[in-house]
Amino acid sequence: MARYGMVIDMRTCVGCQACMVSCSAENQTPFWSDKFRTHVEDKERGIFPDVHRVLLPRLCMHCENTPCLSACPTGATYKTEDGVVLVNNDRCIGCYACCIACPYDARYPYESDDVEHAEKLYGGLATHKVPHVDKCSFCDHRIAQHREPACVSTCPTHTRIFGDLDDPASEVHKFATSGKATALNAGLGTAPKVFYIPS
Amino acid sequence: MTFVHQDVWHWQIAAYLFLGGLGGSTFAISAILHLFEECDKKTLSIAVLSSLGFLALGTIFLLADMLQPMKAMYALTNPNSWIFWGVIFINFYFLAAIVYLIPLLEMWPNLLPVIKKIPANILELLEKFNRLAALVGSAAGFLIAIYTGLLISAAPAISFWNTPALPLLFVISGFSTGAAYLLWLTSFSSNAMSDQVMDKLEQLDAALIVSELVVLGAYFNFAFFLPTGARESAEFLFHSPVFIVGFFIAGLLIPLAIESYGIFFTKNSKKSLSLIKTASILVLIGGFLLRLYVLKAGLYQYPW
Repeated sequence: MARYGMVIDMRTCVGCQACMVSCSAENQTPFWSDKFRTHVEDKERGIFPDVHRVLLPRLCMHCENTPCLSACPTGATYKTEDGVVLVNNDRCIGCYACCIACPYDARYPYESDDVEHAEKLYGGLATHKVPHVDKCSFCDHRIAQHREPACVSTCPTHTRIFGDLDDPASEVHKFATSGKATALNAGLGTAPKVFYIPS
Repeated sequence: MTFVHQDVWHWQIAAYLFLGGLGGSTFAISAILHLFEECDKKTLSIAVLSSLGFLALGTIFLLADMLQPMKAMYALTNPNSWIFWGVIFINFYFLAAIVYLIPLLEMWPNLLPVIKKIPANILELLEKFNRLAALVGSAAGFLIAIYTGLLISAAPAISFWNTPALPLLFVISGFSTGAAYLLWLTSFSSNAMSDQVMDKLEQLDAALIVSELVVLGAYFNFAFFLPTGARESAEFLFHSPVFIVGFFIAGLLIPLAIESYGIFFTKNSKKSLSLIKTASILVLIGGFLLRLYVLKAGLYQYPW
């Protein structure tokens, strides 16, 4: 079994937000309600004149110790054998316990208005048919076709590196174990599978 | 580091947490009083009926806040989730409370024709298991009250909630609101035993308010000394006039002063009936405001 993960090299991110657009197109996320599975945080840090800009792409961390999975009473949130955390839309009751439990703001509600809008926009191709809580799936449907997640294949600066963290030959393994990569909020013990190389 | 207010649980969930604590504790206090003390069974039946009403209303608020309330039964799937246990406790509570309530309704002559429609052997069975239902319902009521705190404490990134003090605070506050509601209810009773029951409830509520103040002190002390979102949350609450005036002063200190006056300076609670009613209502309003503002003060600590 693979253990899928991602490394985000913040040194190369230019904040073009192509990842957000491609994810939205691929996964029909409700961009009309300003809801996305992945964001690029654009933060200013420091005090003038010692200031700098930080661009931080973020998404679901697909944690090893998954607080959202524990919080979900219905089993709608589940983990695949490859460690990808997914939501079964038909089983989700939308209690928001997972949103509260997630330390990474990775989840949002796909509300009934969003479902209606998606049906108008995508017609018979609409994939979100019921209201539910939505999140990044590492584009599991693309992984099944041996393709990279949409955000990874779109990124023009190779900021996002995806693959099997357990495969020593993979690029993601090399970056993740380079000593430069760190996890966000590591102190919480969630053991994220998305790592960051600081700029 | 960024602190962001949670924006998914609003007043509906605050109402659910409040009504859960109120309903569970109202039943637990009244059933335990009935088991160990003489009390007016008519008032007792109203108390049990209203505790059922509080929990039913609370459940409606929870369902109304969901995206898919019609699928709520799926919540009985994952035992690692506190909501799973909340559903279990509430269902046990409803079952025990109904078993306990039906024999009590025989005190109401108008309801006798309805009660008599229940087969005699079932009624006998209900009466036989009356004490067991009181105990099971009380345990479930206590668990519901503590569950309301456990539910929101399962948020690792909201450090103000992610503490063992919160379930403790909510269970004490829940029992204080239950005692206050029963005090208010008993103040309408003309039964000879009601004075004695009121004295006990008044003492219980005052003791619970003192305990709540101690836990609040420890909770805020802990929050202020943490270099995390918990300190931001505590500061947010300290700068919220409704929390300070509505909950802390009007919902805790004033009722405690009124109840202390009743306990230490009047021999009979009846002498200060309007004051007792005022204190009870203030405790109830304060109980709701506590939950509403704890939810409002939920700050995520994001690493960006």
